[in-house]
Formats: sequence, C-alpha cells, structure tokens
Amino acid sequence: MEINKSIFIIAFLITLFLLMLMLLIGSNMNNQRYKYINTKFSELYTSFNEMQTFFLMAETFGDEMACLTFEKKLKEMDKSIWELAVKIDQYRIATEEFQKDKYYLEQKRAFNENEIFYLTLLKNLNERCSFDQSIILFFYQNSADCKKCDDQSFVLDDINKQYDDDVAIFSFDMDLNISTAELLKEYYNVDKLPCIVIENGTFCGIRSKDFVLKKLCELKPSNPLCD
Amino acid sequence: MDKVYKSRRKKRGMNIAYNLLVYFVWFLSTYYTIVVMLSLFLKRKEIFEQHPPLKQHPLVSIIVPAFNEEASIAGTIQSLRELNYPNYEVIILNDGSKDKTSQIVKSKLKGLSNFRFIDNKKNKGKAACLNQGIAVAKGEFFGCMDADSIVEPDIIKKTIPYFRNSKVGAVTVSVETYKPKGILQRVIDLEYVLGLSLFLKIFSFHNAVFVTPGPFTMFRSSVANEIGGFDKESITEDFEIAFRIHKAGYKIRNCIEAKVHTIIPPTFKGIYVQRKRWYTGSLQTIFQHKNMLFRKKYGVFAFLIPFNYSLIVFGLVLFLYASYLGFSKLFENLLHFRYTDYNLFQRLFDWHFDILNYGQVNMLSMTVFLGGILLMIFGLKAAKKSFAKKRFGMLGYPFLFILYQVFCLGSIIAFLRGRKVKWR
Repeated sequence: MEINKSIFIIAFLITLFLLMLMLLIGSNMNNQRYKYINTKFSELYTSFNEMQTFFLMAETFGDEMACLTFEKKLKEMDKSIWELAVKIDQYRIATEEFQKDKYYLEQKRAFNENEIFYLTLLKNLNERCSFDQSIILFFYQNSADCKKCDDQSFVLDDINKQYDDDVAIFSFDMDLNISTAELLKEYYNVDKLPCIVIENGTFCGIRSKDFVLKKLCELKPSNPLCD
Repeated sequence: MDKVYKSRRKKRGMNIAYNLLVYFVWFLSTYYTIVVMLSLFLKRKEIFEQHPPLKQHPLVSIIVPAFNEEASIAGTIQSLRELNYPNYEVIILNDGSKDKTSQIVKSKLKGLSNFRFIDNKKNKGKAACLNQGIAVAKGEFFGCMDADSIVEPDIIKKTIPYFRNSKVGAVTVSVETYKPKGILQRVIDLEYVLGLSLFLKIFSFHNAVFVTPGPFTMFRSSVANEIGGFDKESITEDFEIAFRIHKAGYKIRNCIEAKVHTIIPPTFKGIYVQRKRWYTGSLQTIFQHKNMLFRKKYGVFAFLIPFNYSLIVFGLVLFLYASYLGFSKLFENLLHFRYTDYNLFQRLFDWHFDILNYGQVNMLSMTVFLGGILLMIFGLKAAKKSFAKKRFGMLGYPFLFILYQVFCLGSIIAFLRGRKVKWR
C-alpha cells in the first residue's frame, strides 16, 4: 500500500539532473550571448576597417567620391554601435547572478576603445563631407553609484530610437578607466556624471529629452531632426 | 571611494544571497513537485480505491458543533438525514450561538430519533465542543463535521472500510467547495480539490497525512479516546490532532471518493481571518510538537512537515525580496519616463523579445511556474475533474498565491509576537 522510500532518492536524483540541465542550458545561453557579442564585434571591426579605407580614399581621390559611400555606412554604424553598447549592458545584467562579468567588462573596454577610434574618424569626415548628423558623447558610470546615469541613458536611448539617422551617440563607461576616455573627459571639462557633450558643448547632470533636442538644434540647425 | 567600494560590496553580497535563495527554493519546490508527480504516477491506479462492501454496519456517530450557523445548519442536517448508512447517530452541539441556530436545529430534529441536540448556552470553542460530543458518542467510529458543510449520502459507507486496517486512526475525505461563485471562490475550489483532496491521498501513500480537515473526517473512537480527544487550546485542532495520531502510532488515510462540500467564507475579510487562523495555528502546533520533527520513528510525516513549512517560509522570503526588486525596478523604469514626457506607448511598441536577456534565475523561476501548472493539470486528471470547470480557478491561482503570501506573512508576525489569534 505505502510507497517505497526509494522514491525520495529517485526524486532527489531527478531534481539534481534537472538542476544540471538548467545549468547546462544557462551555460549554453551564456555561450550564445558571447557568440552574439563576438559576431557584432567582428561586424564592427569590418566596418572600422572600411571606414579607414574611406578615409584613405578621401585623402587620395578627394572627398566627393568617399563621402557618398561614407554617409550610408555612417548611418548603419551609428545604430549598431549604440545597440551593441545596450546589448552588452543587458547581457551583463542577465548574467550577473554570481558576478561573472569579467567577459563583459573586457568587451566593454574593447568596445569603448574602438568607439573612440570611430569617433575620431567620424568627426574628421563629418567636417570634410559636411554631414548634418549630430554627435553626442555620453559619459557615465555604474548605475549603483550613479542613479541619474541610468536616467540619462534612457533619454539617449529614446532619442536614438526616434532619430537614429540624424544622431550618433557614443557612450563611455568611466568605471573602466580607459586612458583615451579619460583624455576626452578632461578635454570636454566633464566634472560630474552623467554628462553629455553635444557638438562640443558640455552639459553635466541629467538632461531631459526636450533639452537635448533643443541643444542639438541650437548647435547644429542643419540637422534634419530640427525641421 | 571607500563608500563606493562598500556600497558595491554590499550590492554584490545581496546579489549572491538572493541568487542562492532562488536556487535553494527552486530545489525544494522542484523536489516537492517531483515527489508528488512520481507518487501520482506510481499510484495512479490506486487513487480511487476499491474496497469489498461492508458485511456488518458498526454504529457511527456524527458530531456537529455549531456556532452562529443559522444560514447553513438546515442544509447540513438535511444532508445528514440522507445518509444511506443503516446504523448511525448524529450529535449536534450548539456552541453558545447568538443567532437562531438553536431554534432551527430544534425544529429540524423533530421526529428524528437518531439525532441528538446539546444546547450549550455558553461558547466554549470548537475543540471543547467536539470533545463533549466524543464523550457522549456511542459509535465505534465517529465523524467530525462542520455545521457549514454538506456531506454526500455515501460518505460513511465509503470511509468505514478503511478501518479494516486496525492501525488506521482516521480517514479524511475529499473536501470540495459548495457552489463556488466568483473568481476567488473558484480558485479556492481548485485549491481544495488539489490540496485538501488529491494531495492528502498522495500523502496517505507515504503515511504522512498532516491534517484531518474540519469539514468532515472519520475517526476511530478508541484512538480518539486513547490520545485524549481534541486539544481545546488549539485554534487548528484538526491539524494538531493529526500530530498526536501519528505520535500514537496510528495512520491517517484518505478516501478521495467520499465527498463533503463546504461553504467558504463569502467575503475577502472572512477568507483572511480563516487563513490567518490556519497559518498561525499551524505554526503553534509545529512548535508544540517540535520534538516529533525529523524523528525517524514518525516516518515521512516527521520530515514532510518541516520540509513543507521551510518551503513556505523561504518561498515567502524570496517572494517578498523578488517583489521588492521587481517593484523597485518597475518604479525606476517608470521614473525614467519623466525625462521623456512619459511617452510610454512609443517604448511599448519598440519592445523586442530576446530570450538571452533573461538570466538563469529567470529561467529557474519559469520552471517552478511550469512545474506548478503541470502539477495542476496532472492533479486534476488524476482526481477526475474537468479542466473546463476549473479554468477560472487555474487562471486566478497565481493571484491567490500572492494573497496567501501576504496572509502567511501576517500569520508569521502574529506568531512571533505571540499574539492570540481567535477562531473567528
């Protein structure tokens, strides 16, 4: 009539098996995340190389030829750069269970370093090709220490989604202590976080969407979003 | 900088503690679900037991204490009149009711020789009333019944055969709700079908039935006398007596095919009062019989109780912490919108699902939820209940689960502060 006590051992083993399975799925998902970020990085590196080629072409054959192709590429890249920055943060949060975020920190560092390289190229070509796209730099740090940084990131994400083609946003995590990012911070007189730089104008502290758009149009009235 | 470092360390510590708690609760609840499912699978053919018909019909007494039951007592008496057992007596005890219970009982019992009425003018409590009934009952077995419940005619015929095993001290039956209305009552109906019927059947296969539900349970009189009847100090006397039955070395079985329909409190406040009494009373009883816990000689019962309540307590802590995290995140996210003129809808349409955004903890929580649904489905199938009739209960169950957590928290606080919880 009564069930043999071995059922409790069997159930324990099944539970253990399920736990292992869940951990395996979790590990697989982690690999998928790494794979996604690595793929996106490869795409970005290819784009960076292309940009360098465009830059060289502009130097050699004149701006006219390079600018035409450059404009199209530029718009593609802006979107993927911001999206990748957001994705790295999202995946980092998803896997922060036991603070295994070394990979993401390394990726963010590599990403930020490349971003600075891209920014330099972009600023250079922007002037030479007279594009109407605006550049925003965003300096921030870990949300635990800077609650307003999260708010500012949200505002910029909103602007990026709405005016993707007309704005290029570069974000720099100041927790990573990247020397080039520190140099930029000094150059633009960033004295507290969060801080945004809109077309060379520095605005520290949280800024609303309205404020950012207003400043964008004041500093670059030719931007199509101001129409 | 030191402050920042400390704050990060604290956050990391909290994060690790939270995740360990998730893994621990996941393990407990998954283990519990698997034990129940395996038992269900192994004993699927024995859920509805077949016993040879009775050759003799020993006298059975039914004891019904009543306190302010003017609305339901007539129905209870009517159902007792319709019992198809040839040899039974009914003892109804008024427990100092202030309404018309006494008058109604007197009028309904006219001409019924096997019904007795003891009209206590002073309220003495349910357990004391039941003991008074046991003292005057003549039956070899007696059924304790709530005065707001209705039994099916064959309840005695179906439960008595279980006592052929001389070690059986009590037999519980299927507790179902009487004509459930509205979503809340339908959810409780589902809870009763599973928790107070099928699961008790499963626990009976492990000799670990931990409650003798108040709406109706049949007892062997000699066992009740041996253990001294009900504990009149207990507010969950039906839970407490189960401990002493196990302690005395007797078994509690479940007869799922016998049914009692009970009226559930019609108001939210009524349900809150009832649950608070159940939870606080359970904690008091466990504390009272703590020397039984983890003792091998009491079998699975001695392990099931601490396991169950650990799951409830740790689950509650996790629920509260996860709710705090969830709500603070939601609040934070909503606050973000103040810088973008609250364009909520635009963001809503921008949302894209990416399974990789969900971590291991989310996946574990999801499997617990899925396990619960599977348990409900297989449970209803095993109990031969229609899914269609229970669909509202199934949909509403997660909401009631949240409410129960709140009730449970209230009860734990009341227990820790040593507050006296009244029966009503």
